[in-house]
Amino acid sequence: MYFVFPSALLAGFPPIKPWYQQSVILKTYQQSYDWRTPWEKREISTLTGMAIVVSLDLSTDTSISETNSFKNLFLLTTAEMVADATLIEATRKGNRSPFQAKLVLMDYAANLALLKINDAIFWENLRPVEWSSVKENGPADVKEIFSLKLNSQQKWEFESGKIEQMTVGHRDVSDAWFPLLKLSGVSFSGQGYPLLQDNETVGMILTAAGGKAKAMPAEMLYEFLQHAKSSPYLSLAHRGFSWRKLPQHSAAEYFQIPAETPGIWISRVLPFGTGSEVLKQGDYITKIGKWPLSYDGKIEHPKWGLALFDLLFLDQLKAGEELELSVIRSGKHLVLKTKVAAYRENGRIVPLKRVGFPPRYVIQGGFLFQELSVNYLRMWGSNWRTRAPVRLRLFLELNNTVMIPEKNNSAAFPSASNVLSDEHHRIVLVSQVIPDPLNIGYQQLSNAVILQINGQHIRSLEDVAAAFKNPIDNFHRLDFLPGSVRMSVILPANKITEANRRIQNNFRIPKLQVL
Amino acid sequence: MFHNKSIFSLVLLYLCSALFSTALASADSIEQSVFRITNYQQSPDWKSPWKMKPTGSGMGSGFLISSGWILTNAHVVSDSRMLLVNKISSPEPFLADVVAIAHDSDLAILKVRDPRFYQNLRALELGGIPEVRSRVRAYGYPVGGQELSRTEGVVSRIEFGTYVHPGIDSHLLVQTDSAINPGNSGGPVTQSGKAVGVAFQSNLRLNDVGYFIPVPLINRFISDIEDGRYDGVPEIGVETSSLINQYYRQYLRLPEGTGGILVERVVPYSSADGVLQKGDVLTKIEDLQIDAAGMVRYGEQQVTFFIEAENRQIGDSLKMQVWRNGKFKNLTLTLKAPPFSTEMRNSYDELPEYLIFGGLVFIALNRNYIHSPGNVTPALAYEHWYREIERPQTRRKQAILISRVLPAPVNSGYTSLHNYVVNKLNGVSINSLAHLDKMLRNMSLGTHHVVFSSEWHSMPLVLDFEESKMQQDSILKRYGILAASNLVLE
Repeated sequence: MYFVFPSALLAGFPPIKPWYQQSVILKTYQQSYDWRTPWEKREISTLTGMAIVVSLDLSTDTSISETNSFKNLFLLTTAEMVADATLIEATRKGNRSPFQAKLVLMDYAANLALLKINDAIFWENLRPVEWSSVKENGPADVKEIFSLKLNSQQKWEFESGKIEQMTVGHRDVSDAWFPLLKLSGVSFSGQGYPLLQDNETVGMILTAAGGKAKAMPAEMLYEFLQHAKSSPYLSLAHRGFSWRKLPQHSAAEYFQIPAETPGIWISRVLPFGTGSEVLKQGDYITKIGKWPLSYDGKIEHPKWGLALFDLLFLDQLKAGEELELSVIRSGKHLVLKTKVAAYRENGRIVPLKRVGFPPRYVIQGGFLFQELSVNYLRMWGSNWRTRAPVRLRLFLELNNTVMIPEKNNSAAFPSASNVLSDEHHRIVLVSQVIPDPLNIGYQQLSNAVILQINGQHIRSLEDVAAAFKNPIDNFHRLDFLPGSVRMSVILPANKITEANRRIQNNFRIPKLQVL
Repeated sequence: MFHNKSIFSLVLLYLCSALFSTALASADSIEQSVFRITNYQQSPDWKSPWKMKPTGSGMGSGFLISSGWILTNAHVVSDSRMLLVNKISSPEPFLADVVAIAHDSDLAILKVRDPRFYQNLRALELGGIPEVRSRVRAYGYPVGGQELSRTEGVVSRIEFGTYVHPGIDSHLLVQTDSAINPGNSGGPVTQSGKAVGVAFQSNLRLNDVGYFIPVPLINRFISDIEDGRYDGVPEIGVETSSLINQYYRQYLRLPEGTGGILVERVVPYSSADGVLQKGDVLTKIEDLQIDAAGMVRYGEQQVTFFIEAENRQIGDSLKMQVWRNGKFKNLTLTLKAPPFSTEMRNSYDELPEYLIFGGLVFIALNRNYIHSPGNVTPALAYEHWYREIERPQTRRKQAILISRVLPAPVNSGYTSLHNYVVNKLNGVSINSLAHLDKMLRNMSLGTHHVVFSSEWHSMPLVLDFEESKMQQDSILKRYGILAASNLVLE
């Protein structure tokens, strides 16, 4: 059901907030990097959505005042809206002329971004939003929400929907789990649209299609804005572990967990987040702060009732606060003191998707060296998880396994514990060989993992650049992971500079390395 | 030579049909010796390894070679429950049995039980390798017609290539543009009245391309079974890289004009193990010079040097010359069977190994299973292909996994488990399914838990040992399983 939401038609409702003063249309032109040809960019694409006017001076009166001049005003939208943007245009309702916006802060894991427009004219008659919390308890109709539906630049209407569930989820960055409102009945919204309830702004839409939508709750947005005020920016509070529920009583007995003790089993301690400094894999958490955990990781949330414990980070646990974790470790009850900690981009052996950074690469003798990353794997298309070479996908799994290194491992790789203990360790590939007379005979090599160059172990592109400075007896020797198309390559040290120049000219490569 | 990549575009010429009927003159005697083979087959259900899939039937071709033997492809007669052979234009089927089968080279020999079958038949003589550009004829029984089909074309290429039936093996094959259609499998390809090969597969990506198995491999197969047992095609057991790049050759200080290919890995337990070394340059095999791409002269063709092993028997010796540490060195190795386990090759005619305990279905990871839809996961791929290459010291006889769980009270909480790689039982490494079975049978008195741990999962799988044993019979009964295991005893 969709209907126009003019105040005149809704007698008895509180005065309608001027939504058009708190939201603007956003159009972005995006151009991501081509990770297969890392010195090039891909085709330009456009995205249309909205942004919400916010003030970073949240403690003051949000009406227009001297202290809340346009200098305090920003636009809040999703990170996906502005990722790899070459141009961001913001347009007010009824105004045809777009204003160019500048990205000032992006938290890609949390999928939030702040924009600034340094033009007082743009901010005239715009008002910062007042956040309100979603009203969940109460009569069924209170769950009703509204979202904007833009028929044209002039005609802003509303569609109504319902809140189905408050849960947690992630977007492109798969280890960043944040609260999500699941909605029904919302089809025409888009990224950055305000989520409205009972005449208040209670969140921001992430996706909407086919009557189903996801939104970020106002509490999370508010928290992001609070963090945005501090420098350096610290991301939002997050758990510091992966967990599993105990499958059955035999497992509980084996792990020395007393019968009928609800809790969750720590399958992996993350390199960031709450509890990461004090927990161990195999710990059994029974309580987070004052909240006892159920067998399936739920707590009794004061507002949302029985809900996943991650929702505590929405409004109950703030980064930096003291926190006690009640655990059972090797049959003993312990109380671990820690602090609520934030999410941070972490040192995975295969970094998760990043935006806004050009691909790093090194070219030597036509060999294109790149670090394996999710950005690189995504070059195999939307089904990259099944289509990318399985040997490369395997490295992505290393962070999730407990592969035990063997002593006297002659292959030098993979020794999972070495890899995982070094946050800077990356998998370096020869992604392709750019043809040149120097590398005749090697040109079929692609996606081959490099182990050593001139006897030096390669753990990053910086290692590659350094190793090429030390040829042995006037030759460069490259050794690859067994199972590659070939396992070794020799290049003449005294001809490589000339070949590099030739390749750079021939293939119009602006830089031979980007580090 | 073997490899571990699937060549999806190659297909066996079995089952499907396309009729082509160009009668060739003066070929009557050949045509009398080419038969239609009907195979009623039943293959195992790899998801439920105690079960067989529904019976199916397929048709292929075969031809008389000598001693009452009918030569055909292994894939024509694999997983057979009953084989019928029909002569040309005859409705009478004759029961036949497999005398010998070589899955690695996709060849098989049949014998018809009724001696009447052989009356008035003349065996086809085997010829040699046809020359490139020479004309050949293919005979066979493509599905869709009962009568013999004859086609003609030229030999367009002779080289090493993947044999789809075993999946992992590569041998010499001959490419022709003669219309070899599905159903021709096992039929003869002839030249000057002699059989010069057995038609066996085609390539979907190419037009008018069919392949046949050349006579040297057929002769090798026939020699191999003279002692009543098939031992298989030997394997040298090295991974090599070309030395086309001049700077690599300079680095190795190879004398000018010397060819040679670089040994990058010697496969443990192979023919080359202990003889060849990583870094050797293979320059000569027997009396043939190996060029920088690893090819040797073979008739009018250049083919990979592996050809010299392919035409020999296990136990034969092979002379090689290598460039090692700046000097030529002559070596001799004794040929052995391929060093990889049977799980690496497609499996036929055998029931899958499995073991059920506490409702957990344990299997040995093999090629058939990993190539089932959705099973090429990183963990399974590593266990099947990469562990041996990258960490050979952790190699086990079989990679064991829990393929599925038969829901029962004892395994409550684990019922959604799928493809869980198991490395240890109660802290002891599992070497094979039979080893796992033995460990479970020999659990010490008072064992409370059985703990299956995995390098791929932090949480081990724990079952109550006594409860698992108690519920074993009821689980088997509930799911209609006759035996708790099918194991190859060590």
